[in-house]
Amino acid sequence: MKFIYQDLLNFLAEKPSKDLLSEKLFQLGHEHEIDGDIFDMELTPNRGDCLSLNGIARDLNVFFGNTEAFKVYEGNIDQLNLNFKNLSPEACPAIHFLEIEIEGNVNAYKPYLANYFSLLSNNKTNFFTDVSNYISYELGQPTHCFEADSINNQLIFENRNCNEAFKSLLGADINLLGNNCVFSVNNKIISLAGVMGGQSTACSVNTKKALVECAFFKPESIIGKSVAYNLTSDAAHKFERGVDTQAQEIVLRRFIEIIKDHAVIKNIKIQSFEDHQVQKNSIPIDVKRINKILGTNIEEKEYLTYLSKLDFGIENEIIVPSHRHDISTQNDLAEEIARITGYNNIESKPLKIKKNDRGTDKVNTLKNYLIKNGFSEVINFPFIKKEERKSISIDNPLDSNRNYLRTSLKDSLLDNLLYNERRQKDSIKFFEVSDLYSKDDQIRQEKKLGIIMSGRRGQNYLDFSKKLDNTYLSELLNNDSESIVFKIDEISRAGLKSKKNDKIFYTEISVDKIPENIFNDIESSFETTNFIKYQPVSEFPSSTKDFSFSIKDFNKYDTVIDHLSKLNDKYLKDAYIFDFYENKKFNEIKVGVRFVFQSSSATLSEEEVHKSVNKLLKPIIDLEGVSVPGM
Amino acid sequence: MSNIDNIEPPIIKDEVGTLHPINQVKDFLLNMLADLGFQEVDGPEIESEEFNFDMLNIKKSHPARQMHDTFYVENKSHVLRTHTSPVQIRSMLQSNPPFAFTSAGKVYRKDDDATHLPMFHQVEGIYVDTDVTFANLKDLIHQILHNLFGKDVKIRFRPSYFPFTEPSAEVDILSKNGKWLEILGCGIVNPIVLKNCNIDTEKYSGLAFGLGVERIAMLKYGVSDIREFYKSNLDFLGQFK
Repeated sequence: MKFIYQDLLNFLAEKPSKDLLSEKLFQLGHEHEIDGDIFDMELTPNRGDCLSLNGIARDLNVFFGNTEAFKVYEGNIDQLNLNFKNLSPEACPAIHFLEIEIEGNVNAYKPYLANYFSLLSNNKTNFFTDVSNYISYELGQPTHCFEADSINNQLIFENRNCNEAFKSLLGADINLLGNNCVFSVNNKIISLAGVMGGQSTACSVNTKKALVECAFFKPESIIGKSVAYNLTSDAAHKFERGVDTQAQEIVLRRFIEIIKDHAVIKNIKIQSFEDHQVQKNSIPIDVKRINKILGTNIEEKEYLTYLSKLDFGIENEIIVPSHRHDISTQNDLAEEIARITGYNNIESKPLKIKKNDRGTDKVNTLKNYLIKNGFSEVINFPFIKKEERKSISIDNPLDSNRNYLRTSLKDSLLDNLLYNERRQKDSIKFFEVSDLYSKDDQIRQEKKLGIIMSGRRGQNYLDFSKKLDNTYLSELLNNDSESIVFKIDEISRAGLKSKKNDKIFYTEISVDKIPENIFNDIESSFETTNFIKYQPVSEFPSSTKDFSFSIKDFNKYDTVIDHLSKLNDKYLKDAYIFDFYENKKFNEIKVGVRFVFQSSSATLSEEEVHKSVNKLLKPIIDLEGVSVPGM
Repeated sequence: MSNIDNIEPPIIKDEVGTLHPINQVKDFLLNMLADLGFQEVDGPEIESEEFNFDMLNIKKSHPARQMHDTFYVENKSHVLRTHTSPVQIRSMLQSNPPFAFTSAGKVYRKDDDATHLPMFHQVEGIYVDTDVTFANLKDLIHQILHNLFGKDVKIRFRPSYFPFTEPSAEVDILSKNGKWLEILGCGIVNPIVLKNCNIDTEKYSGLAFGLGVERIAMLKYGVSDIREFYKSNLDFLGQFK
């Protein structure tokens, strides 16, 4: 909801600056952003009463006082004899109708009405609808204007089980399904109540006589309809959050006053249909309880003063105003007091709870063991397209590719592996631990560990030319056990979108089936998290260059190794020794080094890579007795 | 070192992998909360509406229960939990106060865009004892945020709305660029929730709080796009060793 700063000031006795107003709005729990003179409010869903100038001003009264900002028509109004039947009073306990007819032309909009359209970028529609929209902005009560002459038979309100077409006043064709609160004439739906009127009975720029409907629809009878039919509706937003149960007549009198401000009124008639007894919602006065909830020492007098400024009645009990649907308990009142005094002004009081030991955890031990051996943990979404045996179906999936919950980690981990292969990774070791769900006679939960790997065994001269294989994984996982705990499978590359040939190995096991004492010498707790500052991942390809250093002056060996450990270049992403060979026959040491270059902003040219290579190699090949054959 | 036999081969560094950064942050939070006295409890991700909503005072008409916000499964017999609070409900039903529980794990909302994911992680805590007040809650939240962001961090409490707490608050910290950043939600446990768990509300009261793990991770690591956490990119994950 947006409002104009000056409009709100009209409702306040004091005239706070924008900064002070902003501070107090935050104190009251009304988040917002300010753009010039426009306050864009993000109100919590329980505060439907604040979705208007008047509503926000009521909340600010305790700080700035308020004024009688809006004039209402105070003259007598004739009784309307509308042929109307409310078949669902449980959904709409109160409804009022105003028939209003004007003559002559509509004058230019006065500043308060004109600004609502120009400064808040609202579209003008027609005079009656414009006033209706403005009233909703000013007082928070939606109204709907029918072209009066289009209601040519009995008007019925009901919660109807529908399966019929409806054209909204904005021209959208909607198929109403299931129970919907609607207005109908001659059994034809003319309005989706509380959401949007229909085109067939909408007012136009030529309308001289309007039937204005002003109702209290219960939130539960409106909720979800605007989303279900993809209708953007300010009225639905307000009814869903709850409007004032008692405000309808005053709203219609305000409606008349605004019409009177702009046109000559020929005729006005009003009629009310109420099916509910006004019940006062009251709460006992108990300031001790309030202090017990908040940890404060507020005096009763101060407490009651605050509440009265928020429109609460103070009798033998506290009477909740009719616009506050969110207040029914002592805790609700405690929040009111905390808002007024300011959450930040409530003094903290120490809380002492006995320290708790997290203890050991088999899953964490497993994770630590795998991480120590070069495996990285991944987390995947559980949604899949294909139905697996016993898989659980999602009734309202995000899309048709995410209809079911996975029952295995395999496909997710395989996707992770292939994704990284496409990104030039040649040694991939992943694991995931997740609860998986399946169904037979009931929903079953099982925590599983999945491990996948493919490619080189390592980025060092001992492992570089070796491949990850069944033996490696079996030795890693099963050596501590008397029997084979982890069953390892090779995943065929047939049908996979991959150009790689390295074999893929996979194991998946229920965590419950892993012996408790496995990997006993591994810590259960993780190392303290080091909150590094992450560098965005480059989306550009890397370039790999291999070099073999021939060292014939062994006194230079340590210098070469030292240089290689301190390589630094803006494009150098990775460097490691993948080959080390002592050639005793030729009295020579060979050191093979791989450089991986990558830019964060572009694909590197050969020239750029060449320049980096020369810079990195120069201090080494300048050494006497060290060379790179071929360079 | 003129003899080839005296040459020491290059040292081979351990090639370690990495715990997922989201789990690193989750673990950090759980350790911190254990130090503050909270015991970790666990529960299912597929929940009944009763535990996910009703017991937490989330009424049938609440927007969060709509099909466009919550994933329903198996002909609407269950939901994918939208928060970890039902774990606390299950634990409260099996315990007598005083107690302090944390629940952590995956939660699901029907959202999928640049800033929202259909699955994310929460860490929530609840403490129930005699005379637990909003002033105590403030003290606890200060301790948590000082542990996360340092003693000098500026903290702001704002009124908010959650059906399961009353009063409810959202808590912001002041960022280096002078903007307030929302960090967590908290409040005094709504007595309706305690009553649902058979707890005597004349004697006991409680406080509760919840943090979004991804949000904390993004702030602490400087990750601007939440989706990065779930691409399983080794270049990304490798930075969190």
